[in-house]
Amino acid sequence: MLYLLKLAIFKTLMQIRTILLQSTAGLLSLFLAAPGGADTLPHYDSPELEVGLMPRAPQQVAAFYEARGFSKPMIERLKQQCFITVWVHNKSQNIIWLDLARWKFSNLTGNVTRRDRHYWKAVWHNMQIPLAYQSTFRWTLLPETLDFQPEEREGGNIVLPRSDHPMQIHASFPTKADKSGIPITVIFNNIECAKDP
Amino acid sequence: MKQHHLLGIMLFSLIFTSHSLAAESITLPKGILKLSPYPAPRTTLDDLDGETYTLKQDKGAWVFVHFWASWCGPCREEMPAIQNMMSTLQAEGLKIAMINTAEDEDTVFSFLSAYAPDIRPLMDRDGQVTEKWRPRGLPATYLVDPNGQVRYQALGGRAWDTLPYITFLRGLMK
Repeated sequence: MLYLLKLAIFKTLMQIRTILLQSTAGLLSLFLAAPGGADTLPHYDSPELEVGLMPRAPQQVAAFYEARGFSKPMIERLKQQCFITVWVHNKSQNIIWLDLARWKFSNLTGNVTRRDRHYWKAVWHNMQIPLAYQSTFRWTLLPETLDFQPEEREGGNIVLPRSDHPMQIHASFPTKADKSGIPITVIFNNIECAKDP
Repeated sequence: MKQHHLLGIMLFSLIFTSHSLAAESITLPKGILKLSPYPAPRTTLDDLDGETYTLKQDKGAWVFVHFWASWCGPCREEMPAIQNMMSTLQAEGLKIAMINTAEDEDTVFSFLSAYAPDIRPLMDRDGQVTEKWRPRGLPATYLVDPNGQVRYQALGGRAWDTLPYITFLRGLMK
């Protein structure tokens, strides 16, 4: 009952705020939505699999997480990273595995170590970040492993140490439910961390 | 006493079998995964009014368990379809548990007022209940049978208010 009353009062105010919210929402969904017509973005497409990458500038990263209520120390930490939003679409009628342990990142200086969930868990724990923010952050990351079902799409971020050197991303996707099929290999060259304008 | 006990077991088996058979014979719409049944994780959460909900209280009915967050684009797109579906099927016996993952009350309230005002959210304030369900991503939907077993999972957002999905959900409840 209290909820309904609150809702009725709030609805009037919301008519104004909705316009604002929708425009913000558009911006926020951009952070995790698949790119539309972005031909210049790194992109792989075959009859079985589609993979897209979109490096995110520190300002974009900050804007997204600030809107989620992340604290300044968290934002500062995140702005120092190289964020790349990844989309995967299994276009086949078979299972294709995402297994980030089989992805290799390298640049002129050697291998680049991805900052995975364990890394962030330790960072947030040391910074005494509330569980709610830790949880939200985890949900914005690309899953470590996922058995992509036929026609399934998922996306999320991978986080790497920021560097000026262009990277190569060597991504291997095992196939079949037991991963025994021939893997699909996708190589992206010259991937750069996005910079603020 | 023994006879009552036996009758109880027989009745339970009959109900269980009939739900299982109904679920077996249903045509799956696009993006619905049939799972090997497993017990639904314990789920106890407060709604925005502070009233406590437990999944257990819906035992005996099919439950549509949905996880979402306002920042997730597909969640936003899917929400009106869920509200439409809900307005039809809730009256027919489908139970709905809409679980917000790790957001605060103001965010949830503002979001639902704009996108789906009839939905009553359950607040997973620290995101730990969501973790127990281990969704593939957000949004995530599970269908829990009247015996508390997770039977189906939806891949991403679905057009729940369209005929294939309404027919599917109705089929479960038969």
